[in-house]
Amino acid sequence: MELEVEDPSQLPAMCEKLLANPLIEDYEVEVLS
Amino acid sequence: MKFGIVRFPGSCDEVDAQLACSRFGEAELLWHRDSDLRGVDAVIVPGGFSYGDYLRPGAIARFSPVMASVADFARDGGPVLGICNGFQVLCEAGLLPGALLDNAGLKFACRQVEVVVEQTDTPFTRACEAGERLSIPTKHMSGRYYAPDEMLDRLEAGGQVVFRYAEGQNPNGSLRDIAGVSNEAGNVVGLMPHPEHAVDPLLGSADGAKLLAEPVAA
Repeated sequence: MELEVEDPSQLPAMCEKLLANPLIEDYEVEVLS
Repeated sequence: MKFGIVRFPGSCDEVDAQLACSRFGEAELLWHRDSDLRGVDAVIVPGGFSYGDYLRPGAIARFSPVMASVADFARDGGPVLGICNGFQVLCEAGLLPGALLDNAGLKFACRQVEVVVEQTDTPFTRACEAGERLSIPTKHMSGRYYAPDEMLDRLEAGGQVVFRYAEGQNPNGSLRDIAGVSNEAGNVVGLMPHPEHAVDPLLGSADGAKLLAEPVAA
């Protein structure tokens, strides 16, 4: 999914807490610009 | 005995749960935005499609204000039962181990199944005999219980597998035929089948009543 965020450093926490369930899902963060 | 049944946007079995629980005590609905559990003795997190199952079933509901209170209640030893979507919510909230994935075959499963009671030392199964078979309906799309092998071994060793589908009746591909688990303390239990839909012979089975009859704190 693509998100517009002000602070990309918050993305891992967003993934861990909501966007992904680390037990069943992997994720990687790519900053596009 | 006073039951509190959580109602999220998208819940659809909370009234059935309330009616089922009201056979055994007081039962009132707890709105998801309220953090006051109103002195209930047991909490039921019911089935449905909380928040439309967006993202993952239970992923958004876990952030409802009421869930912080439910977590505190559970931490203090209060009995909490998650049914179907409620099971998913409790797993997402970290109150139960594991996760529920889409059913094997990606088909909605709606059928009466027999589950075997594996653990009777929980507030919801102490009226059952170990090995007892209960006939309870299932209806879900994402009920395939999953946990890594080492976690499954730990759950089995710790007596946290509370229900297993009877041989040949696993409707969703759950690992090790697991239909329900508990937390380590045993006071939080989740299962995919719906005991609240099986509390009267007119419904085809009254076996579910055994789980709701008197959940006193473990």
